[in-house]
Amino acid sequence: MSNGFNKWWSPPDRVTTSPFTVEHVDKSRVSRRRATFFSLIFLLTALATWFMADLLWQGPVNLIDLPLLVLFAILFANIATGFCTALLGLYVINRGDTARISRTIDHVPLDKLQLGSTAIVMPVFNEDPSRIFEGLRVIYRSLEQTGRLDDFDFFILSDSNDPNRWIQEEVAWAELCKQLDGFGRIFYRKRRISINKKSGNVADFLRRWGQAYRYMVVLDADSIMTGESIVKLVAMMERNPTVGILQTAPRIINGVTLYSRIQQFASRLYGPLFLAGLNYWHQGESNFWGHNAVIRVRPFMEHAALPDLPGKEPFGGRILSHDFVEAALMRRAGWKVWLAYDLEGSFEEGPPTLIDAAKRDRRWCQGNLQHSWLLSAKALHPINRFHLFQGIMGYLGSPIWLLFMLLSTLHRFNAVAHGDGSEKYTMIFDYLVPVPEALALFGLTMTLIFLPKVLSVGLVLKHGRSAAYGGPVRLIASAVLEVLTSALLAPINMMFHAKFVVYILLGQGVAWVTQQRTASDEADWREAIITHSGQTAFGLVWGASAYVLAPSFFWWLLPVLLGLVLAAPLSIMLSRAGLGRRARELGLFLTPDETQPAPELTLLENNLEECYRQMQPIPELRQDYGLMQAILDPYMNAVHVSLLRQRRLGSHSVRRYFVELRRRLLADGPQKLSSREKLALLLDAESMNWLHEQLWKQPPAQLSAWWRLAMRQYNVLTATPVTALYR
Amino acid sequence: MEPLNAFRPRTGTPDQWNAAFIRVEDYLRAHRVHNRLQQITILEKVIARAARRHEQDPSLDPTTLAAEEIDRMMDEWFGELLGDKALPHERIAVEGRVALLLSDGVERWPYAFLDDRQVPPEFAQEMQRRSIQAGPDMTVTSMVPRPIELGALTEVAGQTFEQIEKWPILRVSLLWAVFLSVLALVFYATR
Repeated sequence: MSNGFNKWWSPPDRVTTSPFTVEHVDKSRVSRRRATFFSLIFLLTALATWFMADLLWQGPVNLIDLPLLVLFAILFANIATGFCTALLGLYVINRGDTARISRTIDHVPLDKLQLGSTAIVMPVFNEDPSRIFEGLRVIYRSLEQTGRLDDFDFFILSDSNDPNRWIQEEVAWAELCKQLDGFGRIFYRKRRISINKKSGNVADFLRRWGQAYRYMVVLDADSIMTGESIVKLVAMMERNPTVGILQTAPRIINGVTLYSRIQQFASRLYGPLFLAGLNYWHQGESNFWGHNAVIRVRPFMEHAALPDLPGKEPFGGRILSHDFVEAALMRRAGWKVWLAYDLEGSFEEGPPTLIDAAKRDRRWCQGNLQHSWLLSAKALHPINRFHLFQGIMGYLGSPIWLLFMLLSTLHRFNAVAHGDGSEKYTMIFDYLVPVPEALALFGLTMTLIFLPKVLSVGLVLKHGRSAAYGGPVRLIASAVLEVLTSALLAPINMMFHAKFVVYILLGQGVAWVTQQRTASDEADWREAIITHSGQTAFGLVWGASAYVLAPSFFWWLLPVLLGLVLAAPLSIMLSRAGLGRRARELGLFLTPDETQPAPELTLLENNLEECYRQMQPIPELRQDYGLMQAILDPYMNAVHVSLLRQRRLGSHSVRRYFVELRRRLLADGPQKLSSREKLALLLDAESMNWLHEQLWKQPPAQLSAWWRLAMRQYNVLTATPVTALYR
Repeated sequence: MEPLNAFRPRTGTPDQWNAAFIRVEDYLRAHRVHNRLQQITILEKVIARAARRHEQDPSLDPTTLAAEEIDRMMDEWFGELLGDKALPHERIAVEGRVALLLSDGVERWPYAFLDDRQVPPEFAQEMQRRSIQAGPDMTVTSMVPRPIELGALTEVAGQTFEQIEKWPILRVSLLWAVFLSVLALVFYATR
C-alpha cells in the first residue's frame, strides 16, 4: 500500500509510549522552536544586511542606497526563511521529532484504528474525465482493500461548464458506479450556477450533506491518496479531537514533460527537508493547502465560511485563495491545524509546462495578494498572519527582486559615471579579507539558496537511497541539471510574477493565448513567443545597457539575463513530452515514486493508458461531441436527464425561447448555437427529452448535415467502446 | 426454390421504407444491439407496425412512424419489466434505458431485448434493482461567514479603496501620479 521504501526521512521514535495526542506537546517547547526559527532568520538577515550596507557605503552616499538596502533586507529575509526551515528540518530528521501528529496512531494496526463517517469530496472543473474517474477508481479500490470502505462516501462536485466535459463526467460516473457497484456510495453533483468557484462548490456540498459526516477529505481532480493514508488521516483526527484541519504533504507524480519531471524530482528530493522543518515550527498552527487534507466538518461549517473583502476583484471581493484563510479562521476559533508531513501515500500532479505553471500562478498570485486585507485582522494567530504574509511574499518578492536588480544596475551605472569601478575587499571586525565584498555577499546568498539542495542529496546518499533516484551518479547529475534549470527559470518566473502583481494592483486581467493542459510533443512556438517576447526584449535591453555602461557588472547580471533572453526556447524545450521521456530512459530526474511506485500509481497509469487507446471522434464532431452524445445516445440521454432537476414550467416567453433553440439545434446544427445556448438546453430536462425523440423521428431531410453525419458516425463508434470507462 | 415470403409495405416508396429501416437499425445499434439476427427480428416487427399505420395515413413519413413504433414497443417492454405501466412516456423511457445500461442488459442477455415473452428472471430482477442515485438524502444547513474585523488601518484602507473604485477618473489620476513620481525619483537619483 504505502511506499515504505521512502520512509528514510521519517524521524525515528524516541518515545513510543502510548497514548500520545497533540495535546501532550509542550507549549513552551513550541515557543522555543519558534524563537529559534525566527532568531536564525533575524541573525542571517542582519549579517547579510550589514555586509550589504558596508558595500553600499563604500562609495559616495547615494539616494538609491537606502531603498536598495531595505529591498535587500526584505529579499534576504525571504531566502533566509526557506533556508532556516530546511536547516531545522535537517536537525529534526537527524535527531528525531516526537512532536509530530502521526505519532498519535503509531503501532496501531490499520483495522483497529478508530474512524468516523467521512465524505471524500473532489471538486472538478473541466479536467480530463478519464483522469478524474480513474483516479477515483484507484482510491476506491485502495480503500476497499483496507477493509474500511464502509466509513467513507465519495462525492464528485462538478462545476464544469464545457458541455463535452460535463457529459463525459456523467457517463464516466454512471459507468464507474456500475463497475464498482458504487451506487449509493459514489455520488455526482453538478451545480447549475457556479458561485464562488471551488470554495463555493465545497460550501454547497457542506450545506446539503455536511451534517451527515464528521470529516471531509478534500481532494483535487489530480489527487491520489492510498486507502491506507486516508484511513490513517481520519484516524489521526479521531485520536486528536482538538484538530480541525490535518494537511498531508502530497508528492508530485506523473510528470511527462521535461518541465514537470524536473519539478517532481525537485519536490521529491528537497521536499522532506523543508516539510520536516515546517512541522518543526508550525506545530498546531500549520496551514491548509486546499486539498489532500482532512477537515472536521462541523467546526469548519461554523467558523470557516469565507467573508467578502472590501472592494471588488481582482484585489478585493470574494476570497480566491481560500485555504490559508480557512486555516486561519479555524485556528481563530480554537481548532488546531497540523501537517502530517510524514504520512505516505498522498500524491498530486503538477502543471506540464512553464506557461501552464504561470497560468496557475496568475490565479494564486491574485488570491494571495487579496490576503493583504487580512494581515491585521483581529484575533488571528500570529503564525497564521505569518503564513498569509509568506503567501503574499511568494509573489510580491518578484517585483521586489526586479526593483532591487534595476536599482542595483542604476547604482552601478552611477558609480561608473563617478569613476568608481574598482573592486573592494571585505572587512570583518577590522580584519581585511582579500575577497571582494560583493563576492562574499553573493557567496552567502548562494549558500542559503543551494545548501538545502546539497544537504538533501547528501542525505539520500548517506542513507543509501540513491538507487531509488537512479543511482548516485544519476542522482547527482539530475540535481546539477535541476539547479541549472531552476537558476534559468528563476528570472523568468520573476518577470511573470512581477507582471501579475502590477496588473492585479492596476485592476487588470492578464491575457493568454491558447491553453494547453496535457503533455504533448507538439511545440507551440506561437504561444511561447507571444508569452515570453517581453521578457526576452527586456533581458536584451538590460544586458546591452549593462555591457556598454558597466562591463564588469554585466557578468554579475549574466545568470539573470541568460534566463530572460532564452525564455522562449527554454520554455519550448521544457514543454516537450519527448524530452521528458528521453530523460526518464536515461535515468535522469527519477523519483522513488517512479522506480518503486505504490501499487495505486501503477494501476492508475495502466488504466489511463487503456482509456487513451479508445477511438476518438472525427474532427468534425469533436467540438460538440458531448452535446451530441447527450442527445443522440439513448443511454447517455437517459443518464443525463435523470441527473437533471426538473424545471418548473417557465413563462410563455421562456418556453418559446427553448422551442426555438431546439428547432435551431436540429435544423442548423450545434455550430450555429452559442456555448451559452447549448448549456441552457443541456440544463433543461424537457428539452433533452424532446431533442432525443425528435432527432430519431425526423426524416433525414429535416435534419442538418451535422446531425446526419453524427448519426452515421456514431454507429461506427458504438460498435466499439465509446467512453473512457467502457471496456 | 421456395418463393420469398418477405413482408412488403403496401404504401410509401421503397426509398422511404429503406430510410425508415436504416433509422431503426441505427437506433438499435445506438442501444448496443449488434446481433444481426436480433436486429432483423425487431426490425421486421417495427416496420410491419409502422406500415400498418402508414396505410391509414400515407401523409406521415415512414421514418417518423418507425421511430414512434419502436419507442412504443420499448415503453411497453420497460413498463412490463419495471412493473410500472402507468408512468408517462418520458419517465418510463428514461428509467428503462438507465436500468438497461446499468444492468448491462443488452450485453448479458442479448436475445432478451424487446422480447416480452421470454424474459430471463435474473434479467428482470437486475432491471428492477438498477436506478440512479446522484446524491444521498439532503439535510440542508446554513454556513454563514462570521464577520472579520480587519483592523482600524485596513478598514480605512478598505473604505478608501471602495471609494476610489467608484471614481475611476480619480483612480487613473492617482496611478499616473504614482508612476510619474517614480520616474521623477529615478531621474533625480541618477542624473
